[in-house]
Amino acid sequence: MHKRIKGLWVRLALFLTVMGPGIITANVDNDAGGITTYSVAGAHFGYSLIWSFIPIIIALVIIQEMCSRMAVVTGKGLADLIREEFGVRVTFYAMTVLICSNIFNTVSEFAGVAASAELFGISKYILVPLCAVFVWWLIVKGTYKSVEKVFLLACVFYFSYILSGFLSKPDWKEVAISSVRPSLQWNKYYLLMLIGVIGTTIAPWMQFYQQSSVVEKGIKLENYKYCRLDVVIGAFIVNIIAIFIVVVCANTLFKNGIRIESAKDAALALRPLAGQYCFYLFAFGLLNASVFSACILPLSTAYSVCEGMGWEVGVSRSFRQAPQFYALYTAIILIGSAVILLPGVKLIPIMIISQASNGILLPFVLIFMLLLVNNKRLMGEYTNSRIYNFITIFVIIGMIGLSIILFFTSFLR
Amino acid sequence: MNNQPEVKKNTPSKMFVYFSQLLDRPVVDQDKEEVGRVYDIVVKPSEIYPQSVSLIISKGFTNRKYAVIFWPDILEVDAKELILKVAKSAINFKEKHDNREELTLRRDILDQQVIDSYSHKIIRVNDIHLLTVDHSLMVAHVDISARGLIRRLGFEQLVDFLVRLFNKNANYLTREHLIPWKYIHPLSINPSSMTIKVNVPHKQFSSIPAADLGEIFLDLNINHQIALFKSSDLNTKARIFINIDFKTQKLVIEELADKEAVEILNAIPPDEATDFLEKLPKSHTERFLGLMESKLSKKLSQLLGYANDSAGGLMTTDYIVFIKNTTVEAALKQIKERTFKVEPAQFVYIVDETNHLVGSTNFRRLILANPEDILEKAAFPKTHFVHLDSSVKEVAYLMEKYKYYTIAVVDDNNILQGIITVDDILSRLISIAWRRLKRIKIQP
Repeated sequence: MHKRIKGLWVRLALFLTVMGPGIITANVDNDAGGITTYSVAGAHFGYSLIWSFIPIIIALVIIQEMCSRMAVVTGKGLADLIREEFGVRVTFYAMTVLICSNIFNTVSEFAGVAASAELFGISKYILVPLCAVFVWWLIVKGTYKSVEKVFLLACVFYFSYILSGFLSKPDWKEVAISSVRPSLQWNKYYLLMLIGVIGTTIAPWMQFYQQSSVVEKGIKLENYKYCRLDVVIGAFIVNIIAIFIVVVCANTLFKNGIRIESAKDAALALRPLAGQYCFYLFAFGLLNASVFSACILPLSTAYSVCEGMGWEVGVSRSFRQAPQFYALYTAIILIGSAVILLPGVKLIPIMIISQASNGILLPFVLIFMLLLVNNKRLMGEYTNSRIYNFITIFVIIGMIGLSIILFFTSFLR
Repeated sequence: MNNQPEVKKNTPSKMFVYFSQLLDRPVVDQDKEEVGRVYDIVVKPSEIYPQSVSLIISKGFTNRKYAVIFWPDILEVDAKELILKVAKSAINFKEKHDNREELTLRRDILDQQVIDSYSHKIIRVNDIHLLTVDHSLMVAHVDISARGLIRRLGFEQLVDFLVRLFNKNANYLTREHLIPWKYIHPLSINPSSMTIKVNVPHKQFSSIPAADLGEIFLDLNINHQIALFKSSDLNTKARIFINIDFKTQKLVIEELADKEAVEILNAIPPDEATDFLEKLPKSHTERFLGLMESKLSKKLSQLLGYANDSAGGLMTTDYIVFIKNTTVEAALKQIKERTFKVEPAQFVYIVDETNHLVGSTNFRRLILANPEDILEKAAFPKTHFVHLDSSVKEVAYLMEKYKYYTIAVVDDNNILQGIITVDDILSRLISIAWRRLKRIKIQP
């Protein structure tokens, strides 16, 4: 008995050292854009979209698990592998689209910062530059370990959404039932919302970021099972938080028939219905999510691009040793925060372009991943099993289909 | 007469060819009929400038097949195509070409990471510069420039034209970023032996300062780290080992057989060995000590007994010591003959017959002294020392005050136990100052 408890402690300690990449990547997924989508989904369709989070969890686990497996087995980042296996031309174009899509994604994160600034009654001309400097400083002055700790702390703050969920006093029985019972509505708005919810969950930068950060952690093959657990836990946490966001909005806004356009509208509408605390928690959650994602997106872009093009990479290098890395990182933050401060800038077109470029890139990334993970020379005995491949191909076809539809619908809207 | 300068101008460009320009170039048989396209080139890894052994050609796109053609069957590497001596019918296409133990340009070098022992960095190969010698090809340089990237993308002429528009003498056009092959070490791993395919050239590696070697090593991924370590000789292993952080040290040691691990712990200075051993879980430490020859393990376990931040914990037992009535000549002779695990700082300690510290001297004093004198005459007027339980700060203070590179450590009976070198104190002080050991980045 004593031995078993000791074994448990050892395993827990091992997990704690391996934990990080999966949970962080999944949580960044609940960024400003994600929160907006979930708020609107909850406000307009009540609980009727909650069921979709279960297939999302499955898809997320399957795709991200392949990334961390590749990272642990090959010790190389996704961009590295694409460059080494598919050559420079493919890498170059993929990286160009990735930069483009992540710049727009970063702009929408800073839009989230600006929105929460207004909610807290602070001028966005103060909060946005402040956050940009903080984000830049964190990476330039930090080490991988310290940065990861800050990120894990940011993940904890997502619980503010769970708190605000409880504050809105929902009918838990109804939530539970609707999360397992699919309820498709055959109208255009519902389907578009459904595609939006699933589409925001898996973005191309996530695969790059996850793989690089597992590599950076130097996780060994024998500890891989803990790495997989990290991915699974991450996928569950992120979707539970998303469910709570939907629940808050469904329970207050949907019941009162309030229509919203953004996460900011949602927070404002919550104040009279769910009270001051709920409002602040919601607004704080939005700020945390935006800043957190504004850290990771430029970082992940700079990492992948430099990896792929063979430039020096790393948080632990000086500016002079890795000029391209820091230049890219700085430029993305600068563009992201500056665009938001331009007077009269329209957010909707930015969101559309970011979704569209994600949609173009995702099919390619997923196909590359499938080819790489099944390459015996790289993966040895750790290639996908046949059943796993079957499920993966199904998920990938689904995701590709959705992202193509999303790509076209984002222009129709 | 008029033609001559032009011919001269053309020769070098004809002699050199970029691998990216050869890729996908048509391959024709003796009757000028196309048989396939260039896919890869197998080279002999053992030579200074690897020479082409065989050509791998591919045909078809959806149902791609490969064939291997040995170099003697190739007539000419033309500007447009490769001409073979054999007939199309003699070429045998197969589904696969993978002989994974061979070194090939496309799979193992192009786009891959390699170690550049000239600039002490890990670089990614954008292109390979080949030299034509008697119809066969030799790897001469690798290209890591932006221009190499652009060439691969197929925009070289366009970008060249644009750059020329703005600045005819731009750096971009004139500066070739070619690194001679002799500095390049491919990292591709032989899947059956799990070592690096190309023998690690020890001469080149020994020219890399140990600290840089450690940095390079830390930048590699786990698989390459282990393969490179296994492929290195003991000296290189030891140099790498003492310059990497504990986590990587542990990882590498765990991958080795016990015998190899002990060999490394034997080869590194005792203070580095204790540094490593004391961070391991107790059971591991004891196992390693048990595996070592008794003399060393006794020494190490004694060192391990001292507190980490005391003089006893910092000291090494690898130093130069002589009994006081040795002559200067005899001492110098012994210094010349003895080998050391690390370059000892030029301090020499003098003890009596029962190992009590009597004094110290340095190489300069020894060289200047009369060879017939006994050592005591060449000693410093006074020798300062610390005790086993002296603190890091005390040690640092004394060393700074008396400008010592090494300081003696004695026990309560004034018996010499070991010495502390300035680099150990410095790294301890830096870690106190920055709270980070080993991986501190300093602007070059």
